[in-house]
Amino acid sequence: MKSSFLILRIRRFHKEKDPQQWLETFQVEIRKGMNLLEALFRIQDEQDGTLCFRYSCRGAVCGSCAMRVNGKDVLACRTRAEELLGKPALIEPLPLFPVIRDLIVDLSTFFDHYRKIEPYLRGKPISSQKEYRMEEEKRKEIDLYINCILCGICFGTCPAFEKDREFLGPAILAKAFRFLTDPRDIRNEKILEAVNGQQGVWGCKTVFNCVRVCPKQVPPTHGIVNMRGKILRYRLSSLFFRCHQRN
Amino acid sequence: MELLSHDILIIGGGLAGLRAAIEAKKAGCDVAILSKVHPLRSHSVAAQGGINAALGNAPAPLRDTWENHAFDTIKGSDYLADQGAVEVMCREGIERVIEMERWGTLFSRTEDGKIAQRPFGGAGFPRAAYAADRTGHNLLHTLYEQATGLRIPVYEEWYALSLIVEGGRCVGILALHFFEGRIFPIEARAVILATGGYGRIYLRSTNAVINTGSGCFLAYRAGVPLEDMEFVQFHPTSLYGTNILITEGARGEGGYLVNARGERFMERYAPHLMELGPRDIVARGAQTEIDEGRGFEGGYVYLDLRHLGREKIMDRLPGIRQIALDFAGVDPILDPIPIQPAQHYSMGGIPTNVDGETSLAGLFAAGECACVSVHGANRLGGNSLLETLVFGARTGKKAVEKVEAEKKISQEIVFEEGLRAFLSQLEELFQRKGEETAFSIRDELKALMTFHAGIFRDKSCLAAAKEKIKELKRRFLKIALKRRKLAFNNEFIQHCELEGMLHLAEVIVEGALAREESRGSHYRVDYPKRDDEHWLRHTLAFKTTEGVKLDYKKVSITSYPPKERTY
Repeated sequence: MKSSFLILRIRRFHKEKDPQQWLETFQVEIRKGMNLLEALFRIQDEQDGTLCFRYSCRGAVCGSCAMRVNGKDVLACRTRAEELLGKPALIEPLPLFPVIRDLIVDLSTFFDHYRKIEPYLRGKPISSQKEYRMEEEKRKEIDLYINCILCGICFGTCPAFEKDREFLGPAILAKAFRFLTDPRDIRNEKILEAVNGQQGVWGCKTVFNCVRVCPKQVPPTHGIVNMRGKILRYRLSSLFFRCHQRN
Repeated sequence: MELLSHDILIIGGGLAGLRAAIEAKKAGCDVAILSKVHPLRSHSVAAQGGINAALGNAPAPLRDTWENHAFDTIKGSDYLADQGAVEVMCREGIERVIEMERWGTLFSRTEDGKIAQRPFGGAGFPRAAYAADRTGHNLLHTLYEQATGLRIPVYEEWYALSLIVEGGRCVGILALHFFEGRIFPIEARAVILATGGYGRIYLRSTNAVINTGSGCFLAYRAGVPLEDMEFVQFHPTSLYGTNILITEGARGEGGYLVNARGERFMERYAPHLMELGPRDIVARGAQTEIDEGRGFEGGYVYLDLRHLGREKIMDRLPGIRQIALDFAGVDPILDPIPIQPAQHYSMGGIPTNVDGETSLAGLFAAGECACVSVHGANRLGGNSLLETLVFGARTGKKAVEKVEAEKKISQEIVFEEGLRAFLSQLEELFQRKGEETAFSIRDELKALMTFHAGIFRDKSCLAAAKEKIKELKRRFLKIALKRRKLAFNNEFIQHCELEGMLHLAEVIVEGALAREESRGSHYRVDYPKRDDEHWLRHTLAFKTTEGVKLDYKKVSITSYPPKERTY
């Protein structure tokens, strides 16, 4: 098989070192079909055992290996090494999250926000012997959002999250929308309340960066815009309701 | 010494671990999960095609029953499964699947809005409930959501290093906080292993990189035997090149397997069920085509979905289309997918009863690392997800009962001694000198297992493998670790995992060498027939100072006497 060399400039970070941060260049021989994650494994095995990065499925379904490659946030396993040939590729940790070590970032803010929206179905009580009946069309509507693997990539390019780390963020708002859309969930108003505000749907700049970068084709902005509409309608209807009561 | 403590500690945050944790938490127990990855990164997430349960939702001339499911499972197991355990799984599975739906899993739907079910290999009914082709993803996220709602604590990115055993009872573990580099003893009145499979001891495997079989090794090293480890499932359709799984659901939806001559070759191996034969038979079929020169150069055949049409592929199989595009540059709507068989699943594991109890008091196991045994010599597709839920829940429940019955708390000194002993072993490890590297031994082991303990086996290749593993174990002692600090020490983790991988490989090879018959996934070219008279029994492998010691135990047979297995 034809072989060629990949040059990776990796942003390293070791808290206890001085300087803590540096750029290090590695050269890896690649074979046909190899991806960036495999190249990082080769470096870890053969050149520098201290290089740290996250990994698991190597098939773009677990969301572990999100990182920034030549300025774009991607899953390393889904990035073909051949695409990075030609000139040195800059490999950095996912931005906007504190770095723990090399390419490993601290996602606790991400999962704190996840917990804030109470991401678990609150269903109607029905028989334990039977499932809830759902239209296949309805399922497809939710399915778009359920494909999110919580990799954190959408946060890296989100201007609202960049401005305010308390902004719930695209993946989390998409998750809220997933439960809102689900006919089995009874918490409609509660979900809308949780995402109402500048740190929720109103903080979004609607620049669609998250939609563009998502490796699983989840469209958070569409969900956010939809929830804005629902909040407005909800406000309007409660206003009517109050006027009606006064009369 | 800081001693952490929980009623129940679960190692592994995949489906089995999470399901056990939820059961225990709901019963009011102090339960925690410890996992080397965030639970959502567990390998359960990669399951695609479906989860079996006799819901009877798909249109069929007769209504499916759990008894049908049990029969298919037992026949599929080549009669090595323990039939009582299979009955438990198939009976309780129905409730477990419906429970997942009610907790939020977004299953695909039938026309009347029920959970949709598709045909799967070796099954007499369309029984695999599915969520497009991302069933594992949907189930895992649902369980993680439930666990989040219950505020179950998770030690994320911690490694379990060893079990602490006192007076014939597992009382806790030693665990490494990878980012801090500190080893903590954790006391638990029940420890549940839910660590998944060991696929990565094979070169060609569909498994995640994290699947090194560490839980099986923890138990094995603590004196618990391993059961039926020679039964290794090879999935017929992994993507050529990366060996990423291409679901059996692709064939369930009507996909064809085609060789280089354009023949649907399954006609030769399972003339009735064709592509929907059980995995062992389909994998041998595909490998035979490749070995006999009817495959494509490089060693693959085609999975052809083109006749299903764009709409069906986009609707039912969007995930594998994306995988084929991302990892092989092939769009299954337009071109056939190049596939080859690869290691996929471990039927064997830590022997347990139907409540997850092992032979060591205080130690439980559930999911792929356990061997109940519901899969026997060959697992049917769609039964592994089911196993995680049914036996995860049962194990969680039993652990709670045991914890309540046994309030005794062990002495802190036990943990101090355990930690001290471990640290002195560590010191010894850091003193080792030599030129060997863990990755080269690992890579040699992986190739050895794929080519010597793979789909087709015989005495001479297995005997050679046994010798080679001995050599690799000797070389393993000549690995010198470069860094002493444990924080972020990839080399140390790799070293720990490799030790376990070498032992598991040894157990697989010795079990396979001894078993002079062919049954399910274990195919001996030199003994091509099943031999019930001598081999209708489970293998048990014990770790001794002289190496692996094999013993055997009876198979439980309730209502299905062994018959010839044809499809």
